[in-house]
Amino acid sequence: MGEHLDSMLSLRGLTRRFGGLTAVDAIDLDLAKGELISIIGPNGAGKTTLFNLVTGLDRPDAGTVRFEGQDITGLSPERLAAEGIARTFQLGRVFGNLSVMDNVLIGAHTRLRAVKPAVPVIGPLLELGLALLRPSSVKAEEERLREEVKAILARFGERLLPRIDQPAYSLSYANRRRVEIARALALKPRLLLLDEPTAGMNPTETAEMQALVAELKAKGLTILLIEHKLEMVMRLSDRVIVMDEGKKIAEGRGEEVRSDPKVIEAYLGHGLTGTAEQESAA
Amino acid sequence: MSSWLDYTINGLIVGNVYALVAVGLALIFGVSRLINFAQGSIYLVGAYIGWVAVVQLHTPLPLTIIVVAAAAALVGLIIERFGLRPLQNSVRIAPLLATIGISFVLDQLVMLTFSPNPRALPSQLPDVRFQLGGGTIGPLDLLIAGVGITSALLLFVFLRYSKLGWAVRAASQDRDAAMQMGVDVNRVNQAVFGIAAALGGVSGMLVGMYYNQIDTAMSLQATLKGVVAEVVGGAGNVPGAVIGSLLLGLVESYGVAVFGTSYRNLFAFLLLVVVLVLRPNGLFASARQAPPEPLTGTFIAPSRPVRIPRWALAVAAAGFAILPLFPVSFYVLQTLINAWLLGMLALSLTLVAGTIGQVSLGHAALLAIGAYTSALLSLALSVPVGLAVIGGGLMSAALGTLLISPSFRLRGHYVSIATLAIGEIVSLVILNWESVTRGPIGISGIPPLSLFGYDLISPSSVYWFSLAVIVVLALLQGRLLTSHLGRSFRAIRDDDIAARAYGLSLNRYKSLAFIFGGFAAGVSGGIAAHLYSYINHETFNTQQSILALTVVILGGLGNVVGAIVGSVALVGLPEVFRIAAEYRILIYGIVLLLLVRFRPQGLLGTI
Amino acid sequence: MSNIDRRTLVKGSLAAMMAGAAFSRAAFAQSSEPILLGVSGPLTGPNAQYGAQWKQGFDLALDEIHAAGGINGRKLAYQFEDSQSDPRQSVAIAQKFVSDPRIVMELGDFSSPASMAASPIYQRGGLVQFGFTNSHPDFTKGGDFMWSTSVSQADEQPLLASYAVKRLGLKKLAVLHLNTDWGRTSRDHFVKAAKEYGAEIAVTEGYIAEERDFRSTLVRVRDANPDGLILISYYSDGALIARQARQVGLKQTICAASSVYSPKFLELGGEAVEDVHLGTRYFPEDPRPEVKKFIAGFKAKYNGQEPDAFNAYSYDAMNMAAAVLKIGGIDRRTIRDAFAKVKDVSSVIFGQATFDVESRRVKGAMNAELVVRKGQFALWDGKPT
Repeated sequence: MGEHLDSMLSLRGLTRRFGGLTAVDAIDLDLAKGELISIIGPNGAGKTTLFNLVTGLDRPDAGTVRFEGQDITGLSPERLAAEGIARTFQLGRVFGNLSVMDNVLIGAHTRLRAVKPAVPVIGPLLELGLALLRPSSVKAEEERLREEVKAILARFGERLLPRIDQPAYSLSYANRRRVEIARALALKPRLLLLDEPTAGMNPTETAEMQALVAELKAKGLTILLIEHKLEMVMRLSDRVIVMDEGKKIAEGRGEEVRSDPKVIEAYLGHGLTGTAEQESAA
Repeated sequence: MSSWLDYTINGLIVGNVYALVAVGLALIFGVSRLINFAQGSIYLVGAYIGWVAVVQLHTPLPLTIIVVAAAAALVGLIIERFGLRPLQNSVRIAPLLATIGISFVLDQLVMLTFSPNPRALPSQLPDVRFQLGGGTIGPLDLLIAGVGITSALLLFVFLRYSKLGWAVRAASQDRDAAMQMGVDVNRVNQAVFGIAAALGGVSGMLVGMYYNQIDTAMSLQATLKGVVAEVVGGAGNVPGAVIGSLLLGLVESYGVAVFGTSYRNLFAFLLLVVVLVLRPNGLFASARQAPPEPLTGTFIAPSRPVRIPRWALAVAAAGFAILPLFPVSFYVLQTLINAWLLGMLALSLTLVAGTIGQVSLGHAALLAIGAYTSALLSLALSVPVGLAVIGGGLMSAALGTLLISPSFRLRGHYVSIATLAIGEIVSLVILNWESVTRGPIGISGIPPLSLFGYDLISPSSVYWFSLAVIVVLALLQGRLLTSHLGRSFRAIRDDDIAARAYGLSLNRYKSLAFIFGGFAAGVSGGIAAHLYSYINHETFNTQQSILALTVVILGGLGNVVGAIVGSVALVGLPEVFRIAAEYRILIYGIVLLLLVRFRPQGLLGTI
Repeated sequence: MSNIDRRTLVKGSLAAMMAGAAFSRAAFAQSSEPILLGVSGPLTGPNAQYGAQWKQGFDLALDEIHAAGGINGRKLAYQFEDSQSDPRQSVAIAQKFVSDPRIVMELGDFSSPASMAASPIYQRGGLVQFGFTNSHPDFTKGGDFMWSTSVSQADEQPLLASYAVKRLGLKKLAVLHLNTDWGRTSRDHFVKAAKEYGAEIAVTEGYIAEERDFRSTLVRVRDANPDGLILISYYSDGALIARQARQVGLKQTICAASSVYSPKFLELGGEAVEDVHLGTRYFPEDPRPEVKKFIAGFKAKYNGQEPDAFNAYSYDAMNMAAAVLKIGGIDRRTIRDAFAKVKDVSSVIFGQATFDVESRRVKGAMNAELVVRKGQFALWDGKPT
C-alpha cells in the first residue's frame, strides 16, 4: 500500500452483493489529490453503488475505503461529509420544498459552528439553544454563508440567482442538477463525487456544466465523475475507469480506454443509453 | 407443565383470529405499500352483514359466507375506486389518512344503522367440543384456522401462478415498470382490495360467531392487532402475516401467563417495537436488502405556504386576547381553551410530522406524560403549579424523546406504526404502574392552575393563560423554523438520504424535534391535568393522536399558524355540528376525506 | 338568550337576591316553557351504547312525570349533548350548560375522566352535576354541587361478597374485573368484604374493556384452583368470560356484579350463562310496585324490550331530578339545597331514595340475589347449582 500514500482516495477489493448479484466486484482504485477520474460503463455496471459505498450510504461486503490514508470503510455518511466528501446524486436529490438558497445552505451544514460540538446530549441541546437565541455570532455566520451561497450560485450565471427564493420542486431538471452541484460546493469539499451531472441536459447546458467542472478541476479539486457523455469524459479526465457487471474491465487514459476491445464489447453487448439507470435497485 | 401447553394452544387460537385480518392487510400493503386502517371497519361491516344474514334472513353457513364475502368485496371495491384511486398520484401520506377517514365513516354508518348496542351472532356450526390439553376447541376454531391457512395458501398460489397474481407481484415491486409492461395497475388494485375486503368481511363474521358478540368497538381493535401481526411478519408478506399473527397470539398468551392479564397488550406492542427496531422489514424479510428507494418529493405535497402578513397575525392574536373583555359566553371561551390546548399538541405534531417528517400516531402519550408529571409534582411534592406544568413539559421532552427514539431509524409508515405502538405502551404502563400513577383509579384532586400564588380559576384567566402559552410556543417554534435547525429538519423530511450525505445526523435532529415538540405537548397535557382536576389512563387516548394529526394535515404540514387555525376549526366545527348529534363523527370523517382529496397540502400549505 | 355574559350573570344574581324567592316562584308557575335539564353523555364513540340506554330511561320517566302533571304544572325536558365521554368535550359542555340560564341542573357524564374533569366547572358555576353512574369514590368530593345516585361500591360489593361467600358457600375465589376506576374500586371493596366473611382470594385479574379473549386468563384462574369465579364486569365482557370459562372446561360457580344485569347478558352469553349468580337491585318478578311500573312501562314503550341496569339508573335519575325540582324550584342553588331535603323518593334501585348529606350519595341499595335459570333471570331459590 505504500505506493499509494499520496492518494486522496484509495479503494481496495471493494465488493457489494445484492442477493445473487455482485453489484460491485473487487474494485481497486486510487485517486490522487487534484486528479479527476471518470467512471464509465453501461447501465447496471455498479457505478452508483460504488459511489454509495464510498460515501457511506451503503456498506461493502468486503474491501476497504481509505480517504487521505485513513480507513473510512463503513463510516456513516454524516461523518464522511464532515471529513469533506461531497456528492451529487444520479436522480437529482434536491430538497423539493426548500428554496434554492436553503438547499445550498444545507451543503454548508457541516461548517456551521453550532453543529460542531460533538458532546452527547449537551451538544445538541446547545445547538437548539443557539438556534432559538441566535446570538450575534450565529447571525453573522448565517449572513456570511448566505453571501457565500450567492457567490456559488453566481457561477451558474443567471440560471439560479433569479430563482434563489423559489422552492426546488419548481425548477427545471437541469436547474435541479445545478442546485445539487452548488450544494456540494457549499460543503467546501476535498473530494467531490459527481454522478452524471449532465443527465437530461441539452448540448448548451452540457457545455456549461463541462466548463464548470473544468474550472473546479483547475482550482485543484479532486473529483470522481460518473458520466455517460464520452466527449465530456475524454476532455476532462486524467484517467478513465470502465466498469461492467460490477468489475473494473479497463483503466487508463481516455484514448487508451476508448480503443480497448473489452470496452467496446461491453458497450455493444449492453447497448449504450444515456438515460437514468436503476442499478442501485437491482 | 400442562398449563404451558394450554397457554400455547390459547395463543395459537387467538393468533388464528388475528391472522384473518393480518392477511388482508398484508395483501394490500404488498401492492400499494399502504397500511389500510379501514381493514378493521370492513371486518366490522362483514360482522354486521353476517348478523343480518344469520339472524334476519336465516341463511345457511355456506350461503352466509358467500353473502358476506360478496358484500364486503363490494365495499372494498367502492373504497378503492372512490376513496383511494383518486389519490394515486397524491402524496404518500394521503392514502393513509384517507383510510383513517374511511374507517370513521364506515364505523359510524354501522353504528347509526345498527345502534351501538352489542349483538349476539350465533354460530351456525354444531356445538361439539374436542378436548385439547386442559381446554377444548370447537368446530369454529377449526373453521377459522382453515380459512386463515387456506386463504394464505390460495393467495400464495394465486400470486405465484396466475396471470393476475403475476401482475400483482409486478405492480408491488415496481409500479411504473409494471405499467410500462402493460399491467393494468388499477385492475390489480381492484382485485387486491376486493379479495382483501372479502377476507376481512368473512373474518369479522367468523370472529363475531366465535365470541357470539359483535359491536362497533371491534373495528379499531381488529385493525391494531392486525397491523401488529402484519408488521411483525413483514409488511406485504402474506405467509409472514399468518406466522406473525400466531407469534403475536403466543406472546400475548405467555405474557398473561407470566405477568397477568393486564399486561397482555403491553406485550403485543412491545413485540412490535422490538421487531421494528431489530428487523424493520419484519421477521421474515431477507436480512440485507438493496438500499432504500429514493423517496424524494413523495412524502409531502409540493406546496407554497400561504403567506400571512405579520400584522394580520398580530391583529388576530390581539383580537383573541381581548375577547374575554366582550360579552362572550364561558362556553365560547372554554371551547377556545380546548382549541389552544389542542393547538399546543398540534404545534408539537406539526413539527415532528410536518417539519421533520415523522408522522407520529402516538402523540397523546406525550400529553399523558406531561399531565401525570405535572399532576404528581404538584400533588406529591407540592411544587407550585406553574413550575409543575413546566416540569411536565420537560419530562415529556426528555422521556418522550427517549421512548420514541427506537423509531428514528425507521421510515415512512413504519414510523407511524412504531409511534402508535409506543403510545399504547405508555398508556398501558400508566394503567399498570399503580404505585406511581394509581392505575385505573387515576389521579383526582389535582390543584387548579395557578401562577405566582394566584389561582387561575375563572374561564377568562384560564383562557388568557393558555392563549399566552400557545402564543409563546408558536413564536418560539416560528423562530426555530427560520433558524438553521428548521432548514435541517425540512431537509431531512424532503430527502433523508441526501441530508445524511451532507452531514445531517438523523438521530440528532429527530431527537431535537421531539425534544422541542415534546415540551409543547407536555405543557398542553400539564395544563389539561390542572384544568380537569382528574386524569386517568383513558384521558389521553389514541383518538387525541388522530385528531391532532388531522389538525396538522388541515393546517398544512409544518405550518405553525396552520396548526392553530386547524385546532380552532376542529374543536369548533364539532361544537357547531352539535345539532347533528350522532352524525357529527360521520361528518368529520367525510370532511377529512374531502380534504385529503382536494387539498392535501392543507389550508395554509406545507412549510 | 342562550348566550349570557358574565356581567349579566352577576347582575342577574343580584336582581334575584333583591327580588327574593317570591319572584322566582311567580315566574315558575307562569312560564309555559318546559324546565330544562342538561345531559352530558356519550352518543357516539366507544361508549355510545350507554348514552342510548340513558335516553330510553329518561324518556320513559318523562312520560310518567308528565302524565302525573309535570313539575308543579310545568313540563320537564332535557338537552342531551354528546360528549363521547371525552373530558375535552365534557368541559366545553359544562361551560355551555353553566352559561345557559335555561338549564337548571345537569345529569352525567358517563365515564369518570369525563365527569370529574367537568366537576370544577359545575362547582364554580353553581350548577348541580348529578352523576347517576359515577361510582368513583372521589366524584362527590368535587364539591357540594356534585350529587350521585350511583350505588357506592362500598355498599354494593359487600352485598355481592355476602351472596358469594355466605349464601353460596364459596371459600376460594378468583376475581376478574374490568381494569377501570369502577372495576378496580369494586374489586378492592369486594376483596375486603369477602376476606372479612372468611373467604380466600386465590387470584385477581384485571382486563381492559376492549379485551375479547380470556382463555389465557382463565388458565391462570384454573391454576389458582378456586371454587368460584367473581365477575366484576359489564354485560358484554361478562358474557364473553362466562362463555370462554365453560369452553375451557371451568365448571365452578360464577357470581357476577349487578352491572351484568341486562337481557343482553343472556343473549350474548347463551347457555354459558346458565346458573350464573348475580346480585341486582331489582329483578323482573320483583313485587315492589315501582319496579313493576318501571318494567311494564318500559316494555310497553320499547316493543317488549326488557330494561337493564343502565335503563334503570337513568329512569331513576330523571325521577329523582323531578322530585328535587318539585321542592327546589328552578333556582340552581335552591335545587342544590333540595337534594339534601328530598326524602324517600320512589326508586327502582333503592326502593326509597334519600341522600346522605355528608357523602351526597344514596345509601341502602336494594338487593336481590338472582340466578340465571332456563335463560331467564330468576330469584335464587337457595338451591346449590
